[in-house]
Amino acid sequence: MTDTINQLFTGLSIASILLLVALGLAIIYGTMGVINLAHGEFVMLGAYTVWLLQSQFGIDLLTCLVFVFLIVGAIGWLLERTMIRRLYGRPLDTILLTWGIGVMLQQAVRLGAGAQLRYVKMPEFLTQAVSVFGVDQSAYRIFILLLTVALLFATYCLMFRTDFGMRLRAVMQNPEIARCFGINASRVYSMTFAYGAGLAGLAGALVSPLKSVSPDMGTGFVVDAFMVVVVGGVQSLLGTVVSAGILGQLSGVIAFLSNDTLAKALVFFSVVILIRFRPQGIFAMKMRRG
Amino acid sequence: MGLKRRTFLKGAAALGAGTAVGFPGIWIKNASLAQAAGGEIKVGVLYSLTGTTAIIETSLNQATLMAIEEINAEGGINGKKLVPIVEDPASDPATFAQKARKLVVGDKCVSVFGSYTSASRKAVLPVFEKYNNLYWYPTLYEGRECSKNVIYTGAVPNQQQKEFVPWLVKNFGKKFYLIGSNYIYPKEENNVCKILLKELGGEVVGEEYVPLGHSEFSSVIQKFKDTNPNVIFSTVVGDSVVALHRQYKAAGLDPAKMPMASLTTSEEEIAAMGGEFAVGHFTSAPYFQSYDSPENHKFVDAFRKRWGKDKTTNFVSEPAYFQVHLFKQAVAKLGSKSLTPPDIRMASWDQEFKAPEGMVKIDPKNSHTYLWPKIGEAQKDGQFKIIQQVKEWVEPLPYWAYPGQVCTPNGLENKKA
Amino acid sequence: MRTSVMNARIIGYAAFCLIILAVPLFIDDGYLLNKLSRYLVFGILSMALSISWGYTGILNLGQAVSFGLGSYCMAMALKLRTIPIQTGANGLPDFMVWNNVKSMPWLWEPFHSYAFAICAGVAVPVVLAFLLGSFIFRARVTGVYVAIITLAMLVVINLLIIDQQRLTGGFNGITDLTTLALFGVEFDAYSPATYYLVALSLTAALFLGLALISSKTGLIMQAIRDDETRVRYFGYDVASYQNFAFCVSAGIAGFAGMLYTLVMEFASPTFLGVPISLSIVIWCAVGGRASLVGSALGAIVVTGVQGSLSETPAFLDTWLLIMGALFIAVVLFIPKGLVSVLDFRLFRRGRRRETPSARPAPGAAAPETGRHASAALPKKFRAG
Repeated sequence: MTDTINQLFTGLSIASILLLVALGLAIIYGTMGVINLAHGEFVMLGAYTVWLLQSQFGIDLLTCLVFVFLIVGAIGWLLERTMIRRLYGRPLDTILLTWGIGVMLQQAVRLGAGAQLRYVKMPEFLTQAVSVFGVDQSAYRIFILLLTVALLFATYCLMFRTDFGMRLRAVMQNPEIARCFGINASRVYSMTFAYGAGLAGLAGALVSPLKSVSPDMGTGFVVDAFMVVVVGGVQSLLGTVVSAGILGQLSGVIAFLSNDTLAKALVFFSVVILIRFRPQGIFAMKMRRG
Repeated sequence: MGLKRRTFLKGAAALGAGTAVGFPGIWIKNASLAQAAGGEIKVGVLYSLTGTTAIIETSLNQATLMAIEEINAEGGINGKKLVPIVEDPASDPATFAQKARKLVVGDKCVSVFGSYTSASRKAVLPVFEKYNNLYWYPTLYEGRECSKNVIYTGAVPNQQQKEFVPWLVKNFGKKFYLIGSNYIYPKEENNVCKILLKELGGEVVGEEYVPLGHSEFSSVIQKFKDTNPNVIFSTVVGDSVVALHRQYKAAGLDPAKMPMASLTTSEEEIAAMGGEFAVGHFTSAPYFQSYDSPENHKFVDAFRKRWGKDKTTNFVSEPAYFQVHLFKQAVAKLGSKSLTPPDIRMASWDQEFKAPEGMVKIDPKNSHTYLWPKIGEAQKDGQFKIIQQVKEWVEPLPYWAYPGQVCTPNGLENKKA
Repeated sequence: MRTSVMNARIIGYAAFCLIILAVPLFIDDGYLLNKLSRYLVFGILSMALSISWGYTGILNLGQAVSFGLGSYCMAMALKLRTIPIQTGANGLPDFMVWNNVKSMPWLWEPFHSYAFAICAGVAVPVVLAFLLGSFIFRARVTGVYVAIITLAMLVVINLLIIDQQRLTGGFNGITDLTTLALFGVEFDAYSPATYYLVALSLTAALFLGLALISSKTGLIMQAIRDDETRVRYFGYDVASYQNFAFCVSAGIAGFAGMLYTLVMEFASPTFLGVPISLSIVIWCAVGGRASLVGSALGAIVVTGVQGSLSETPAFLDTWLLIMGALFIAVVLFIPKGLVSVLDFRLFRRGRRRETPSARPAPGAAAPETGRHASAALPKKFRAG
């Protein structure tokens, strides 16, 4: 029994981290078709922002989160306004552009903050283990899980319960008609990109006390995040959640039964199979085109 | 018709421009300077300044440059200044090979100091062997190598484990879980560990390798809880160290009962993970920053003064530092004879230097180094408390676990049974 | 009209190749020749991607797989002929001995023959590409999804190769190789012989590619790139053509891989890594993905600049920043690549539009992949 609970929890934890990173990507890709290879660097920027705030001003992690969201969001907004908006409609070109941006961001951080691993402090009250169903689990992982759910809920509310969300969905479905209705599509794109970047920054901030902070920590996240988004179905929030859950749990189970190397290989292999048989992903948003 | 000519002309012009931009080597004269002409000795410095392993390799670069500056401040070697030629191989073995070629063939350095990963060392080896140059390799590694063109100043498995494993068994128990990153260094260290354990009647309850850079250890920790080892013998490297330690503590495991015993966790990683996550775990290495010796205090102070007061020294940057001094002594011994890498190699044999860790010496039998393995327990402040120190230096035996082979000055030899 | 375009092209290509081949007459520094050979190999690699991406619209983010497999095949053959100077025994490569392998793995046996190795270097990537291609093109998966799938396959194969240390040398790769000696010529990495081999291969590949894209098959490939569904309506078996382009691209990349082993003197799993695979895409894009010689040029220029910058002490810290900035500039301002600066008139004459750039609306990004038949409808109403 403890094994199953452990396993379940491990899978959930991996899934929640995947989801955190993939959420921003899903929103950006779903809305604008921009393949953001710099997404990993946004995650990294979030982690470094926390480190900077903590080491310079001694702000603890939880308070930092707000700043991280705003700062990384602002960076994303700036990038979108100056460069990315010129490449709408050319998704394969955005790969190149965002890759270049990612390279520059990584090197800039390396020059500015140094290449060595950096330390981010975990909030005191979360460093211990708590007992869940009689099994010891990491309190911090539970915290990440809860926060991911909260962010998911916030995103859902944003998209389906606010004016902005309505405009966003309209633009997602058909930008030209949306513009006909008076919606400022470019402003929607900028805000959406900023939101996605902000989410990525949050992911980096949350993950950093559990893992480590280095200039190239983002690269590992980007590939995984893309798998999650594509498997889940473009433009489907629920799809991203389910896909993160499946891939996370699968990862954990295989890793436990054999080893992490095989787990990663098999998970990616199954993604290939899945995309082939269902390219639109698990939940494809039905839309009218034309 | 006009199209044809215009296209052709444009094409040729663009090609010319592109070529000129892309190959500055064509129009920048490649002056071939003699190796030690006019008061200069050129040495190559080959550590990654960008990419994944830049995390630790920048400290090696800094230690090397600091040593060179010290030597030059004292007047150089026999009046000649050391000129470091620094290259950035960007954590990529192919680039390592490329830059090594440049340093050896293009710049004609008499020696090159470099490499952290075994992969990069293997990639540059052909260059050094083909051109009979000399590579000074400061990093702890898995042994089983005996090149006539390398001087190894890092620890080999017998130096790292011969004291460590028995101590662990004595103090904690016989069940070991072996976890490492997925490449040859951890696998070979685990081979040696298994041999030692067998002699001691120990048991391996699990052996696993995670991809390099891996940071998700929940499954691994689950397996720890399942198999309940007495010691977790860890050879993960880089980011993985930090992630593993943090997740270990967060999951509620107790280092007093199931400590992590590592060959790769240094002050650098502890600074990154936070002292409270490292407390109670152990590392075996020839050097710790907290070691109390006048040479070490001088070294640490100088390093901090030169590169920043928050910097740490570790068991890879210390050899990177002292190997330059050993090089200096070898070259000084040659006097005014011509400086060729093979001569430097021979002159370096039996050279002794009071390094921060203690007196070190290059073994003429195999060009490895006599070192002083220590066992350290990580403290909350990020330093190690040295629990045990050998009484005399330990001879390097790169083929210790393989009795049929021995490393000689002329290369590897198979002993007759 | 097409003939004059063709002639211009042939002359342009020939001029390019002649310049490349003439280089050793001016440079005899072995180290420089080796550096240039490396850039030329990247040129072949980039050109291979251009066949599948620029001309058929298949973005193969896993091009490095073919490249890496080719290089490993050559490395295995060379390794088996290396006199073991480290620890090799019983004819086993040294790294296998370190991994406590007792006897030669069956996978390595056939590589005792150079002929087999050279064929394998091309055949293995082609077979793999064929299998993967049949798998995905039959399902009409295109565009971004192909990119993701090829990327995933790349990661999987990379992980497997690093994991199977006893077979492949793991993370270290296969190092310490002997020099290839064929037909009485020694292909030392620093010799003009190797340079000529690479240059001739690039020439051959360019003209082969030129022949391909000028043929009817090539026309259909380009038509598929422009509008897959329409070609399907014409009755062509689109999947077969896509697979063909995919396989040709893989085969050329595999050959480039073999040459790379000769130039670098080792094979490493980094040749199959995500960074190099993305770099191939970058070179192709910078040079001009819809031009064979353009993409080759892109690779040569980019890696050349990168090599020079990173070796200049002044740029030791900032060369990555400069490269990133250059890419961004090229993508934003010269989207069709450097070659387009030269002869945009040629381009405009040959093609009406490329599908990706014709779309102003980002929201239509998903269906532009051509997965849904309904996607064909809106195109009729779009301004040409």
